Amino acid sequence: MLVLRPVELTDLPQLQRLARESLVGVTSLPDDTERLRERILDSCASFAKDVQGHGPENYFFVLEDLTNQHLAGCSEILATAGFDEPFYSLRNRHFTSASRELNIEHGVPALSLCHDLSGHTLLRGFHVDAALVRTPSSELLSRARLMFIAAHAQRFAEAVITEIVGYSDDEGGSPFWDALGKHFFDLPYAEAERLCGLESRTFLAELMPQYPIYVPMLPQAAQDCIGRIHPDGQEAFDILEREGFETNSYVDLFDGGPTLYARLANIRSIAQSQTGTATPGDVIDARGRYLVSNDSLKDYRAIVADLDYTAGHPVFLNTEMCTALNVSEGSPIRLIAL
Amino acid sequence: MIVRPVHVTDLPALLALVRQAGPGFTTLPANEDRLAHRLRWAQRTFAEQVERADADYLFVLEDDDQQVVGVSALTGAVGLREPWYNYRVGLTVSSSPDLGIQRQIPTLFLNNEMTGQSEICSLFLRPDQRQGSNGRLLSLSRLLFVAEFAHLFGEKLIAELRGSADEQGCSPFWDSLGRHFFKMDFSHADHLSGLGSKAFIAELMPRQPLYTCLLTEQAQAVIGKAHPNTEPAMKILTAEGFTHKGYIDIFDAGPVIEAPLSKIRTVRDSQALMLSIGTPDEQAPVWLIHNRRLENCRITAAPARRVGNSLIVDRLTAKRLQLQPGNSVRAVPLLNQQQQAVAA
Repeated sequence: MLVLRPVELTDLPQLQRLARESLVGVTSLPDDTERLRERILDSCASFAKDVQGHGPENYFFVLEDLTNQHLAGCSEILATAGFDEPFYSLRNRHFTSASRELNIEHGVPALSLCHDLSGHTLLRGFHVDAALVRTPSSELLSRARLMFIAAHAQRFAEAVITEIVGYSDDEGGSPFWDALGKHFFDLPYAEAERLCGLESRTFLAELMPQYPIYVPMLPQAAQDCIGRIHPDGQEAFDILEREGFETNSYVDLFDGGPTLYARLANIRSIAQSQTGTATPGDVIDARGRYLVSNDSLKDYRAIVADLDYTAGHPVFLNTEMCTALNVSEGSPIRLIAL
Repeated sequence: MIVRPVHVTDLPALLALVRQAGPGFTTLPANEDRLAHRLRWAQRTFAEQVERADADYLFVLEDDDQQVVGVSALTGAVGLREPWYNYRVGLTVSSSPDLGIQRQIPTLFLNNEMTGQSEICSLFLRPDQRQGSNGRLLSLSRLLFVAEFAHLFGEKLIAELRGSADEQGCSPFWDSLGRHFFKMDFSHADHLSGLGSKAFIAELMPRQPLYTCLLTEQAQAVIGKAHPNTEPAMKILTAEGFTHKGYIDIFDAGPVIEAPLSKIRTVRDSQALMLSIGTPDEQAPVWLIHNRRLENCRITAAPARRVGNSLIVDRLTAKRLQLQPGNSVRAVPLLNQQQQAVAA
């Protein structure tokens, strides 16, 4: 059985393997032992911290196979985007050109550097073993974060965003980057992403184009990348879209990938998840598959489970489930249909 | 040859001339009504009946048979009635010492900085007359006119030189930039602009600075580059002290060259002399000579010899200038010293 839980320092070697395997563009996962160690310690401190309002906390989760302790994926929640350093995105908006004299009016889209998404909670660092793509386990890895937010809403903002990895080709080249970022950074796309994961993103501030970029002036291949998803990012996108997230006018600075946005109240796993109490027992007639979490903080656990559940009734969990969730009779739990 | 103010009766001759110039010559449209209007306006300008903001001094080059063979213009001031736009080619530096990154990115800034300056423009000389001193006379006579009547003009003279375009009149700069905002081809936009609809530019052009690295390579290559056809005009003006300080046309990126009045050779070196009739020797240099009149302005180029405060010219030259011996003229050698040395 796979269980989602907060990361621990002993996970470091396996985490580094995941970082190496993860897609270029998942910038929050640096393949660097020291940085990863800091990230783990930072996460541990965040889970331990007594928090009243959302701040710089970062909650780092891993997906562990209980049978062999293999880590099959990881995901993160940054409580506040742009808390410690500016959170940059490109806003894609139309500038209207109008001439009464010539009777011409048309909009010209332009990308402007902005911090508009600062202050929202950010989902990031989603990576799952290739074998688990489009399985209930990857749903668990992504959505258990939302159930965590539901259980600890005071630790998060009113709205959640995430950046989906944008298109790059098989050689790791990004047409969007080549047409825009490269002029300002003089670095290949993959190298820029690597630096971003390694260093703070603030170093970018000094290099960013401060004036709007008029979209029609970009080569067609770059224009086509605006809002385009990398094939390997499609699942992350689909899961959250089903959750009620929507794309908006913001795209990633580097690769033009889309941004997803949702208010907490509109997120399915938050608004529609049910709370109940655990009742150890055999699951006789499993009629549905659920994501189940224990609503804890430091000991947060979430699993996929086939249950015989009716709203308002006790939630029967078998021994394996109770062990995985670290719950006993009467423990509060949260669940939502997969 | 003389340069004189245009007169409304020049309309047929001027229309023929403009038609010969072709579609690239947009500041004087080959449209009879518009041209007639401009002629009337120019006549009023020379009669000092219009404000500087509207002043349009249109000159013609006329041979001794009263054939109009060239045209050139001078405005009182640009941008005082409707905004006058240029790009200034500035620089943005993208730098991160930690990462060892230093990128210098030329950046175009939209501006109205030429507002109030006077523009020389609309010069066309019939191809069969492009010889001797004709081109220089047609161009420099405006500068001598400014020297005489400096109070009617701005602190600087500017000239927008036509930018690079292919044989079909397509501008790579326009194709990479303006087209996206106007959704029309260059010749059409340029035509509209020539008709006096420059205000529409203000309403449609992007207000924000533009990174040139995002233009096509062809467009980047023509920034500040004059059309090969304008090279003779540019040579004459740069010899007079005009320089390119980074301003360009917002349509085709042709250079805007400029000079403060006081730095223009013709203005600076010209002097008031007394006309005297005689026989300048055969080696005498050619002078540019103005009869110092406004409405009855006559400017010509002729061999002349300066003796003290007198300028000795032949009888025909005095006749062309409509002057008598003893009248005052403003004059300057047609060529600067360097050019004279080369000519010699």
